[in-house]
Amino acid sequence: MPESLPSFSSSVKLKYVKLGYQYLVNHILTFLLVPIILALAVEILRLGPEEMVKIWNSLQFDVVQVLCSSFLVVFIATVYFVSKPRSIYLVDYACYKAPVTCRVPFSTFMEHSRLILKDNPKSVHFQMRILERSGLGEETCLPPAIHYIPPTPTMEAARGEAEVVIFSCIDSLMQKTGIKPKDIDILIVNCSLFSPTPSLSAMVVNKYKLRSNIKSYNLSGMGCSAGLISIDLARDLLQVHPNSNALVISTEIITPNYYKGSERAMLLPNCLFRMGGAAILLSNKSRDSRRAKYKLVHVVRTHKGADDKAYKCVYEQEDPEGKVGINLSKDLMVIAGEALKSNITTIGPLVLPASEQLLFLFTLIGRKIFNPKWKPYIPDFKQAFEHFCIHAGGRAVIDELQKNLQLSAEHVEASRMTLHRFGNTSSSSLWYELGYIEAKGRMKKGDRVWQIAFGSGFKCNSAVWKCNRTIKTPVDGPWLDCIERYPVHIPEIVKL
Amino acid sequence: MAEVLFICKRTVSSSKPVQPGQISPLSILDRVMEHNHLRVVFYYGLQTRRRAGELTKKLRESITDMLSAFPVVTGRLLRTSEGDWTIKCNDAGVRMVEARVEGTVDEWLKNVDREKELKLVHWEEMFQRQYFWSTFYVQITEFEGGGLAVAPPFFHPLPPPRTGKKNRNFHSINHYKSAKENSVPASDTKQTTITLKFNQEMVKNCINMARTTNADNCQPSLTPFEALAALFWTRISKVKGMKSGLVDMSLCLDVRKVLGLEKGFFGNCMVYNRVQGDGIQENDLSKAAGFIREAVFKIDRDEVMDLIEWLEQENWKTYPSCMNGSCLICANLENMNSYSAVFEENSSPLRVSYYIEPSVGAGQILILPSPGGDGPCSRVVSVTLPEVEAEKLLEDGLIKQFGPTIWMGLNRNLC
Repeated sequence: MPESLPSFSSSVKLKYVKLGYQYLVNHILTFLLVPIILALAVEILRLGPEEMVKIWNSLQFDVVQVLCSSFLVVFIATVYFVSKPRSIYLVDYACYKAPVTCRVPFSTFMEHSRLILKDNPKSVHFQMRILERSGLGEETCLPPAIHYIPPTPTMEAARGEAEVVIFSCIDSLMQKTGIKPKDIDILIVNCSLFSPTPSLSAMVVNKYKLRSNIKSYNLSGMGCSAGLISIDLARDLLQVHPNSNALVISTEIITPNYYKGSERAMLLPNCLFRMGGAAILLSNKSRDSRRAKYKLVHVVRTHKGADDKAYKCVYEQEDPEGKVGINLSKDLMVIAGEALKSNITTIGPLVLPASEQLLFLFTLIGRKIFNPKWKPYIPDFKQAFEHFCIHAGGRAVIDELQKNLQLSAEHVEASRMTLHRFGNTSSSSLWYELGYIEAKGRMKKGDRVWQIAFGSGFKCNSAVWKCNRTIKTPVDGPWLDCIERYPVHIPEIVKL
Repeated sequence: MAEVLFICKRTVSSSKPVQPGQISPLSILDRVMEHNHLRVVFYYGLQTRRRAGELTKKLRESITDMLSAFPVVTGRLLRTSEGDWTIKCNDAGVRMVEARVEGTVDEWLKNVDREKELKLVHWEEMFQRQYFWSTFYVQITEFEGGGLAVAPPFFHPLPPPRTGKKNRNFHSINHYKSAKENSVPASDTKQTTITLKFNQEMVKNCINMARTTNADNCQPSLTPFEALAALFWTRISKVKGMKSGLVDMSLCLDVRKVLGLEKGFFGNCMVYNRVQGDGIQENDLSKAAGFIREAVFKIDRDEVMDLIEWLEQENWKTYPSCMNGSCLICANLENMNSYSAVFEENSSPLRVSYYIEPSVGAGQILILPSPGGDGPCSRVVSVTLPEVEAEKLLEDGLIKQFGPTIWMGLNRNLC
């Protein structure tokens, strides 16, 4: 008993020391200013009002000097305001909710797998083991073409799925924001694996009769992190085009990508990827600053493609039988960890409070100069953000990030629950996670959100948002009918 | 005659996930019917024309909702440690097949016969690994000219009666014993099915004819089932060439009422009871009806419970390969309530056809409900016999006397 007491009290002392240090460093300017102001105040009081008037009168004011100084001030202010990047607001977003007829329980998935892969029991067994440990629930959805025995992934079915998902999201978003099709100035659609001609963005323009001078873009092949790439592109475009709206659609069309072979490394996506999509409205109009939900603070993109291993770790190819699928290498988690480190190194200085940055700097200098054996300091990102949206790529990804960033279970709850309820919806999963946090009523004004996505390439992209207004629990959205049931406990292994 | 075009096969799941770990054991009455299954076709002649596939989509959504209330239907078969079947409610779903036919429902119904009708029903024999075999299959066939056929055939053993079991003496287990002891002879004869509709007046005439001349008026009159069963028993015996006496027949009766179960009970409640035909002349309708009535009365609650107990005690390693094979079967399906399966627009079925499969052996008589409108006594009789005998039956004088409408006859014309 006495043994634990010293350690407890020492840890408590350490906590207070840390807190004190953080307050000191993060508010250093205040701490410096306060004594200066006090000293000035004391001096002024000491001098008295007559002395103050005498000093004032002794100052020589030349008209030219006054004019020049004020001109300088105005000039500097103008330069500042003009060169300041425009604020980008996220007015609102809408996520796709699949109909219950698309639901795929585990037993149905395994049964289909057995019927289709009846000559490959080892592959079937592998799929079962993946599914058991996947962290998915029984309510995830696959598109209708995959429910057939055997699946019929035709182009028509893929277009059908794209239409249903994308149009449903846009309709929902238009209803929420009140925006009209003719008001949309920029359109960006990202869908990695389905890229027909004409493009999906052309499909949207056609359906909603968007303007002929619309700036439309279609990003394909960029993996699960393409959602944040689209946001980055929209941001850059909104810097160039004043007073504009940008509609960003992030989705992944599952129909054409169902792997029909039996190679184990390529069966994983079948088990994890599910239907989903999101539509986001961004704006740089000052009148949207009141009603917007979030303000975009930073977007940081890291690309590790220069390294061959990273480039090949998520690779679409043909298997020995000629069937096309996506091969996931065994080094995926290691590469993801490396990419994350790179991204953190860039984003850290932008978001971390000074206290954390100093600590990191000291440890870095210490390791370089004094003793390389010092443990590298992992900055505490919980001080920089209130909410985390980690791409729900799989249970392993979330576990890895939770460990690396030392996050609590509540911080990763949105990611885990999104994986359970919706599966891996690729680029749109970040928006389902954000929706979860809002549905739980946890989003308050001033809260900072960090969205991290990984994708083929290998890329790690981050976006930082600041909540613009406290968000009331939404009356619509994909979580509406099930939020009361969450969070659920997800067992390590679900026995099938 | 238009061909049935297969579009796709898929699995339909319920809208709510099933709580894991639910098991639904099967009763002995369910298990005994292991090798039988029932095929039903509901025809709807919907007036509003729709896009292809729209109706099917709506039905699919409706089925999804309905399945949430019946987790047993989406479960799969499993053997218990004693080797008996049970159902694990694992939320695997039911198979659904979509098909299309040219023309309208009315055109189809004018020219349909057994072979064509069975194309509207999808069935798969149990796999070796029965855990992946769906116990229910639904086929939805859209008629391009308008109308719909919905066919949910199902595995006869369904989940258990929730009645308690008591010990009593028993009587008629002859049908079950003989089903077990006699293997079904492999039959090369092609079976065909004819369906005759008897309206209220025709049934009443039949009842009057079958009433015994000695019966006094305070005896309750025969039920439509008894009268029609007697009629067909005698006529079929004649076409089979029986000189003295009638063929042996087993009545297949619905014992839900007898057991005190509610109508919505989900489980097999059909019990067989043998009637001997010795000593009845082929024209002695009233005597035949009397025998049938007696057999029906014998099946009371105690009798059924005794039968259940006997079956459980027998502890057969395998169940009879065919409950329908040992003799002529006459099944009472009057209480099926099929015409209350109303589709949208208050559209009740034009016709509902039933088949108890496999149909081997001496034949089947199914006494079915009628679309109604003309009175509570009207019935539809569906008879499955070897083709030659069916032809003779249609020519039978006594049946022609009643003048039933031939809903499905022998289709000699190849259209």
